[in-house]
Amino acid sequence: MSKIDDTRKGDTSNEQLFTLKKWNAVAVWSWDVECDTCAICRVQVMDACLRCQADNKQDGCVVVWGECNHSFHNCCMSLWVEQNNRCPLCQKEWVIQGTGK
Amino acid sequence: MSGESLENDPPTLDRSKNGITLRGVQSPIGAKPGSAKKLTIKNFRAKPTLPENYEKETWRKLQEAVSAIHRSSFIRYSLEELYKAVENLCSHKIAKNLYSQLKEVCESHIKQQVHIFDDDVDGEAFLRRLDQLWQDHCQQTIMIRCIFLVLDRTYVLQNSMLPSLWDLGLDLFRENVLNLEHVRDRSLGGLLQLIKRERHGDTINRTLLRNLLSMFSDLQIYHSLFEKRFLIETEQMYAEEGRAKKNELEVHDYLLHTEKRIAEERDLCLSCMDSSTLPLLITRVEEQLIAEHTESLLSKGFSYLVVENRTDDLKRFYKLLSAVKDGTKSLCAHFNKHVKNVASSIVLDTAADNSMVQDLLDLKEKLDHIVEICFEKDPKFVESLREAFESSVNRRQNKPAELIAKYVDQKMKSGNKEATESELDRTLDRIMLLFRFIHGKDIFEAFYKKDLAKRLLVGKSASVDAEKSMLSKLKQECGGMFTSKLEGMFKDMSHSKELLSQYRQHQANKPDMESCGVEMTVNILTMGYWPTYTPLEVRLPTYMVQLQESFRKFYLSKHSGRKLTFQSTLGHCVLKSKFKNGNKELQVSLFQTLVLLLFNEGDSFSFPEISDATAISEAELKRTLQSLACGKARVLTKVPKGKDVAVTDRFEFNASFKHKLIRIKINQIQLKETVEENVDTTERVFQDRQYQIDAAIVRIMKMRKTLSHQLLMSELYKQLKFPLKPTDIKKRIESLIDRDYMERDTDNTTQYHYVA
Repeated sequence: MSKIDDTRKGDTSNEQLFTLKKWNAVAVWSWDVECDTCAICRVQVMDACLRCQADNKQDGCVVVWGECNHSFHNCCMSLWVEQNNRCPLCQKEWVIQGTGK
Repeated sequence: MSGESLENDPPTLDRSKNGITLRGVQSPIGAKPGSAKKLTIKNFRAKPTLPENYEKETWRKLQEAVSAIHRSSFIRYSLEELYKAVENLCSHKIAKNLYSQLKEVCESHIKQQVHIFDDDVDGEAFLRRLDQLWQDHCQQTIMIRCIFLVLDRTYVLQNSMLPSLWDLGLDLFRENVLNLEHVRDRSLGGLLQLIKRERHGDTINRTLLRNLLSMFSDLQIYHSLFEKRFLIETEQMYAEEGRAKKNELEVHDYLLHTEKRIAEERDLCLSCMDSSTLPLLITRVEEQLIAEHTESLLSKGFSYLVVENRTDDLKRFYKLLSAVKDGTKSLCAHFNKHVKNVASSIVLDTAADNSMVQDLLDLKEKLDHIVEICFEKDPKFVESLREAFESSVNRRQNKPAELIAKYVDQKMKSGNKEATESELDRTLDRIMLLFRFIHGKDIFEAFYKKDLAKRLLVGKSASVDAEKSMLSKLKQECGGMFTSKLEGMFKDMSHSKELLSQYRQHQANKPDMESCGVEMTVNILTMGYWPTYTPLEVRLPTYMVQLQESFRKFYLSKHSGRKLTFQSTLGHCVLKSKFKNGNKELQVSLFQTLVLLLFNEGDSFSFPEISDATAISEAELKRTLQSLACGKARVLTKVPKGKDVAVTDRFEFNASFKHKLIRIKINQIQLKETVEENVDTTERVFQDRQYQIDAAIVRIMKMRKTLSHQLLMSELYKQLKFPLKPTDIKKRIESLIDRDYMERDTDNTTQYHYVA
């Protein structure tokens, strides 16, 4: 209890009127993307792509970022690059920066 | 062989017995078949003749016997003798004479009898005489037939034109008795009078009635003479009775009366009349008492019976109406109208929104019961009830869906405290029945999701099993797409739990990262699964920020490419606090926590000071302070005192705070949820619908390339599962044309093209 580091108070912690004991916080996660919508399937990247929705594989549908910082559903992009290895948005060559997890 | 065995046998025992067998065995061997004499039988050369006056003599005897039978007196000759005599006469071809002579005798006898009807006796006495005459006639005919049996079996059989002796008797009786006008009319009148008295409740001589009617049947005048008149009289009587009783009696009494009448008629008919009359008779009664008055009975008393839940009367109503043509159809129409009236009035009563769902559930239960018990689960009624409910519930847009969602929330929160698991499940099933009727299921989903989120995050849900069961019911009803996000919420909860235990281990391994004595839990929500919360930036104490960041770092190390936004509005905490009268544990929201922690640094703060320190928005802060200083547990004191918080108020620590409990939950003052949040939720659903319409239009156009307006509309109605107005769709089409998703045909304005 005495270890609480509260800069707004100078007293010794033992005499504190209120002490935080438990904190139930709530946080929301989303993909760290510039554009909410996947340019290939036109579904929000937070949702699974149409294909995965139809196959009921929502959980495995993650986001992929290119070096160009554009992002798409990984499934959509992997189909796209089979035909054209360029980013559909900026036409730069598609190099994966990372995938979501 | 047998001889040998015999000699070996002891002689004393079997000799005499077997001696017979011995002879029996031997005799055929000794007999010679060829030696038997041949016997030939030849006809008489001359036909035997009868004595000269045999025919005359015999007929005299027979006539005497017949007369004796007619007089019911002693017959001088033995029956066998008479029988023989008839046989003799028949075998000598005098049968024809015999037949006509017999007929003559019988006819003249009957003609003599008719005089008994001459004097004027009252109806029943007349009937009794007729009955007596008939009974006598039958007995006599049977007797005569026994004697003349040979005549009946030979001569009459060979001449198909002639009636048998029994039929002859009937013919004679019909011709000579009932064809007399006064006898016929009086007997018929008497019978009808008798029946009329029975119908008025008198006890009548049923045997007499039965006998005479069976006489009518035997004489084959039952249908032509009696039945026709009887049915006409019946019809008249019940037409009159129906008109009178309908006004005189309440509907349920009228039904009771009718049922009684039908039972009485059936009883009378079965015991006295020909069975072929029964269906005709009952149809007449039902027509007059029920069919004629179906509509007026239904409109006069049906609703009352349903409202009062008089199942017996309704059952009777159904039974009686199902006997008449289109009866149940009218009943069903009235039922439908009634349900629509009642259900719509529940739905449209804006003042009673709170009880709407419960009222609808109760109504549904009651009506289901009625359909099952009273209407024999007639599919027509089941469908009608469903249709009536569906149309009533959708008379008002959105609100019913919202209220159903809230009703479920209530049940889930109170859950097991009020009901057992199975009762709760039953309740949920009943709710699903209502839910099925709702057209705008997305509205339900939005509100349900909001409430579910609250339950999950605050841990208010009474039973995880019940939540799961509700989810599976929704899934069954609307498919996986509908519930995938709701399921996602449950997944988030369990993932958060796992992640948290990993976080704890991670912390334990790093002693330099202190937990500061604070037990921190974090629920990680996937954006999109949960309702959208507007993040409110607040100023946290440094150590809380550190805790938060330490968790964020841990989380992002587990999941790449994500960002994490803490939702201050949803956080809640437990605070240990010291008051003069003892230590307490306060269960409070994050905002309340921030305000209270401030009082560690001073005893009194003004509203602007608190606002600066915490950075909580004004409206939120007002509510927070109100809950702390004006609620049930006042850990702060407001100066000046009052119920509402103003920007000019000051707040002081209430050191002398008293409460009988150690753990105290201080509730946030709920914003009047209905005003803002509610509109918000509904609004969001409408926006979602627009996107869905857009998406559907694009999907369809992409597939078809070119499509007429009409076809596009019908495809849309097929795909979209919420109520659609054509004007809304037109707006969306215009918007899509503006955004170059599609274009109008240059020649034909009702034709669209997809623009790739």
